[in-house]
Amino acid sequence: MFKKEFRIEGGDFQNAGSVSKQIKKILKQLNIDADVIWRAMIISYEAEMNVVLYAYRCIVTLTISPKCIHITFKDQGPGIPDISLALTEGYSTATREMRERGFGAGLGLPNIKKTADEFSIESTVGEGTTIDVDLQISAVI
Amino acid sequence: MVSLANNEGRTLQYTSNKSHSIRIDSEICTGCVACTLACPVHAIRVRNGTAEVTKGDLCIDCGECLRVCPVQAVKSMTSQGKDLTGYKVLVALPSPTLYAQFGDIYTPNDILLALRKVGFDEVCDVALNCEMVVMAIGEYLERNTTIRPMISNFCPAVTRLILKNYPKLVDHLIPIEVPREIAADQMRRKVVRERNVDPSEVGIFHITPCPAKMISITDPVGVDKSNLDGAIAIRDLYVQLRSALKEIEDDWILQKSSGVGISWAIGRSSVRGLPNYTSLSVNGVSDVIQILDEVEAERLGDVDFLELSICPGGCVGGPLVVQNKHLAMSHIGNLIEQYGVRSRVDPRRIQKQFEQTYLLNKEKLTSRRPAPLDTDLTRALEKMARIEEILNQLPGKNCGACGAPTCEVLAEDVVQDEASVSDCVFLRIKELECESTRDRSNSES
Repeated sequence: MFKKEFRIEGGDFQNAGSVSKQIKKILKQLNIDADVIWRAMIISYEAEMNVVLYAYRCIVTLTISPKCIHITFKDQGPGIPDISLALTEGYSTATREMRERGFGAGLGLPNIKKTADEFSIESTVGEGTTIDVDLQISAVI
Repeated sequence: MVSLANNEGRTLQYTSNKSHSIRIDSEICTGCVACTLACPVHAIRVRNGTAEVTKGDLCIDCGECLRVCPVQAVKSMTSQGKDLTGYKVLVALPSPTLYAQFGDIYTPNDILLALRKVGFDEVCDVALNCEMVVMAIGEYLERNTTIRPMISNFCPAVTRLILKNYPKLVDHLIPIEVPREIAADQMRRKVVRERNVDPSEVGIFHITPCPAKMISITDPVGVDKSNLDGAIAIRDLYVQLRSALKEIEDDWILQKSSGVGISWAIGRSSVRGLPNYTSLSVNGVSDVIQILDEVEAERLGDVDFLELSICPGGCVGGPLVVQNKHLAMSHIGNLIEQYGVRSRVDPRRIQKQFEQTYLLNKEKLTSRRPAPLDTDLTRALEKMARIEEILNQLPGKNCGACGAPTCEVLAEDVVQDEASVSDCVFLRIKELECESTRDRSNSES
């Protein structure tokens, strides 16, 4: 089993996407199926952008076992008051500046949920949000 | 006979890397790690004081090592004078880059005439074939709309980069034959027909700005065998051409290309030749890698065509050119203005050839993934964990003194039993300091 931690700083647009990039590198090195890597990237990139846009900071824990990739995004931030609303496609709390940068379609969380094999989310207002994702590793090429 | 400036008469000490277009001469190499650090795919290590391409399966023939070597120990394996002997008829297929090597006073036609003067029996304005290919690309894009962006395949280093490191993008490589191969096929038929010789008696040589073209001839992708017999470095022919240019008397018109084909030299032909499509030109190793990452992340779906060159500035920035690339770029710009952007290639002819699959690759491309960390995922995970452990011990300076380009690469080499942690100079200094502190405290007590 392999485990690694990463950090994301909220508001750090300059490095936004760098954690996803590092995760991709590891998955490629492990020769994991390209389709699984692609799904891992969708999940990781959306989650990372959510942290950069809305949270203060986040610890990302990547755990890879021979059958499964598990990623946890545990952030400190304002939290999500209504999770089922946040999971609705098209619902977004993006500010005008964020929309000007191309964000705010309201598809981030729904996409993560759709793309993962297992998905769970919990949040406390005023403290932060934790997202847990599982991806089955089907075959190694 | 064509004479080339080269190192004939010296035996090169090959280290490894048999199927690539560069070799490192261990007699000249000083082990300075410049190439090791410059290699974008980390294929080079310094062992026992000399550099070696130890990871041949990673090498993409980009020539960065050749570019940065301060003592010219990295040799391009392009064709030498002896490779041109034994042919009854010699044909030159110059890269359009050649047109920008001699300054503003010589036209492409002058340069084609000069090639005849230095001993080639026939020459071909490959820039015209470049225009044919651009049109064929347009045909392809019109008939095939599902995969976007399609990516150019004429830079062998880019093609190999994709086959090795971006296997998911192999289907994005446009399956059209490259101009030099089309030109070679046409010229061979023409020469055989007109001069009544056997095809094997015709020697067709590309005049190239880079070593990668050589590997596309000796180890081609997409075809079983190249139509070319070799590639001569521009710098190996430069002096001879320069003298010949001063003495041209003929006034045959050999140039047929327009600015569309000539702009191939700066990697921007698609911009002019494909006005109905959205195309993007990117050149230079790190920019190409960055854009390929974007394609892989499916963020460039709105772009129809990506024209990629591994060399900065396009082919005029190749490692084997003579002219300063900025001057060359400017000269190409002038040539484009002078010769316009209307090709004389008949689009209907291209359409017909396309329908007869004449211009398409003969074989499907398959990825050439380098050896993975381990073929067994459980073992690969264990190795990954050990790499992290070792990495935490290393100083993180990425200095290259151990012979590996980065600390992370050294950690991987250690786990694969190809290096040891004690190769790290900083760790050894730390060890020696600990030892001497121990010795001192022992002698004091």
